[in-house]
Amino acid sequence: MSDTRQYGELATQLIMESRRSTQTDTLLKYNDSLVRALIREQRDLEKVAEPLALHDGPPAPALIVIETAINRNKRCLLAYHTHRTDRLRDMYWGVGGALPHILSNQDIRSRLSPHEVDFLREYHTSIMEFRADFADELDIMASITQPPKDLHALVKVVRDCGEIQTELGSINFKKGERYMVRRADIEHLIVQGYLEEV
Amino acid sequence: MDWDEEYDRLAAAGQSFVERARNAPDDDDLPIPAARTINELTLPTEEETPLQQLIRHWINERSCPDILPAQEEVLVNLLDHIRSQSKTVQLLRGDASTSEDQHVRIVLAQTEMERVKFIVRSYVRTRHYKIDKFARFITTNAEVQTRLTKGELDHARRYANILDRHLHKCVLQSLPEPQAHLDDNVPFVPSMITPPDKTRPVFVHALQDCPPIRLP
Repeated sequence: MSDTRQYGELATQLIMESRRSTQTDTLLKYNDSLVRALIREQRDLEKVAEPLALHDGPPAPALIVIETAINRNKRCLLAYHTHRTDRLRDMYWGVGGALPHILSNQDIRSRLSPHEVDFLREYHTSIMEFRADFADELDIMASITQPPKDLHALVKVVRDCGEIQTELGSINFKKGERYMVRRADIEHLIVQGYLEEV
Repeated sequence: MDWDEEYDRLAAAGQSFVERARNAPDDDDLPIPAARTINELTLPTEEETPLQQLIRHWINERSCPDILPAQEEVLVNLLDHIRSQSKTVQLLRGDASTSEDQHVRIVLAQTEMERVKFIVRSYVRTRHYKIDKFARFITTNAEVQTRLTKGELDHARRYANILDRHLHKCVLQSLPEPQAHLDDNVPFVPSMITPPDKTRPVFVHALQDCPPIRLP
């Protein structure tokens, strides 16, 4: 009797995960087991519904209940996945489109399913094409949270990032040193965490 | 002492502070001059610089829940301007005969360019965010498509595609056939394609006297 459940109970658990993720503002691990259990439940429900649907005349009440359950489960599944892709998209724009930065971060990578990694890669390709329209004058990946007040920014190097090409030539950023550089050149490094603004 | 003389002079010249406070006009409701004609109130768009136009469109875009028509000419205009200005700046910086004064001006010009670039970026990305959000709605609704630029439309189609394939791979392909579609039309359940929410409240700033509007 341990596997008798209410209709839609698994789906509600999935939605609670999404809700928890929004409330704590983190991306939780892809709940593969719950998703699979839901899909199994869907298949079982479909098997039960098929013979009922073949009756002539007005549909049996059982059929209506089962169809409603099937639709609800499906919408919940789709909502969970869409919610996760939305969070991934926001994260992507948050790091300024530096895909390797997200994917090499083991912490985040372990929480994604392989399909989501593919999604990120395809989204990245699409954005690169879009970006090509503007790339000569302006980098649309740079920060839009604060308008620039100063041309230059004083930064401190937190992690080694090697030689970076800037307008005044290439600068070798070594850990612990401070530099005054043009904001446009190093914006992407600040976002990825290599430099810290002082 | 000098200070005492000055104080006496001030006190004698005007009313005292208490008198001034009592006679001060109410500054919260200035009467709008009634004699304005329509000509004076209209904002002629040819006098607005492209930057001011872009700022206006940017503010509109950020507060609107729907996608507004793309202002391609304004954008292209400004981007050209930025390009030519940055070329001039590069030339002047490399030129040894520019004076100290001009160098300061160059820094100011560059700062201004950075700020204009910020606005353009914010405008483009706000639109982009809305397009991503309503990608499926865009691909099924021709009216909205007239408001997008070509690059944005391409991206919307590609993104709707990517999303469809992702959902298909994760969920739909493992479900039995009758359930494996993304365009169900179930009664009493909101549609799977989310249209922009036109019922969200917005703030408006009236530029002219408008005839009275009935709100639901």
